[in-house]
Amino acid sequence: MPLSQPITPGVVDWTGENPGILLKNAADGFAAIALFFRIAWSPAGQGQVLLLYGAPDRAVGPPDAPNVLMSDNYALADYLMRNFIGKLAAFRDAPAFGGLQHLSANQVRSSGDPMSHRYSETISGDGLAVELVWEELEPPRALELTPEQTGTREHVMFTVLVPAGQAQIIVNGRCLPGKVGKRVQAGMETSSAFLYFSETWVIPPRE
Amino acid sequence: MSRVSINPGRVEWSGENPGIYLKHGQDGDYATLSLFFRVVLSPYGRGHAAIVLGAPGEAAGWPDATNFILTDNHRMMRWIVDGFVTKMPTFVGRAGLAAMTWLDLDSVERRPGDLKTRYSEVLRGSGVTLEMHWLDLGPPLPVEVTKENSATREHEMISVFLEARQAEIKVNGTLLPGAVQSRQIFGRTMSTAFLAFSETWITPPEKG
Repeated sequence: MPLSQPITPGVVDWTGENPGILLKNAADGFAAIALFFRIAWSPAGQGQVLLLYGAPDRAVGPPDAPNVLMSDNYALADYLMRNFIGKLAAFRDAPAFGGLQHLSANQVRSSGDPMSHRYSETISGDGLAVELVWEELEPPRALELTPEQTGTREHVMFTVLVPAGQAQIIVNGRCLPGKVGKRVQAGMETSSAFLYFSETWVIPPRE
Repeated sequence: MSRVSINPGRVEWSGENPGIYLKHGQDGDYATLSLFFRVVLSPYGRGHAAIVLGAPGEAAGWPDATNFILTDNHRMMRWIVDGFVTKMPTFVGRAGLAAMTWLDLDSVERRPGDLKTRYSEVLRGSGVTLEMHWLDLGPPLPVEVTKENSATREHEMISVFLEARQAEIKVNGTLLPGAVQSRQIFGRTMSTAFLAFSETWITPPEKG
């Protein structure tokens, strides 16, 4: 709920879009993970970044495993790895984190409608084409999370969540294994496939 | 006041909504009003638009007066103009808003620069090239306003604002009149030109 103070105290870390797909295996572990960033403002500028763990349990990149960081702004990708992704336990603790190969994203394209039935992001470059597809989309919800409710435990976060009942990660025409599962965010059960629009991460002032 | 993590309201639309309001001197009326829209989510799809009122008080459209909207999603923008823009104090009662000509937009080019010295959006369509330039940008400020304090008085609004201390608008190479001035907004003195990223408009639930 909006506060009486119109300007939220703190420093904006970054703002933009941050959809993701976390596919689970039969043992409830992660079979494949994709996290996409379309950054409108950050100290490292604007840009688009894809984090893909095609084989989360393997500490190697292509051609052995599709564990890649693709971006059109290397400084931004480094900034996000250092200040954000590296602080999220689910990503930092996966073996793939240490084997990521950084590739160029030459083309990035979104299509579909997040308030209809299908939305997708396609990222391609350096011989890799990755398509992220979200389907069975739910109505958008506005979230405001406290540091205790965010993955980094350091930020206040504003976002618009669109959960997806179904999703696919397609790498060079091949669907990665795994299924969309459940997760809990701020006490609400939701899907492990999600669109996040107008997302802002703010570092609150020290007490 | 404590936060509620899951906002109970209805998300209306979300995206980017920077603006440039130019005045005839600090105490004068507005000479030029302009808003840019990059909408990523709405009930009527996604799209881009720019409203330019180079003669806000004149009940005439393009090309007789520089009053037009360029958009690639007319239905979405009809909904946003009727439900949001016409309720904003800066635009209320402006004859140019009702009379503006609706033009088709062919392309949008964002030139973000370093996000500090200069940021631009360039739109082309229907024989018009529109350049919006924001200069000398401040730091990003996360803002969140209640419906009582929002521009429409009907919606909550969340955004990231960057004040631009200078700005200019060109239509087919010609600068539109007026200059950036200061105003009171969000409890501060800020300029009349701003970037607005990650902006979301929410209709709060009716009190039962």
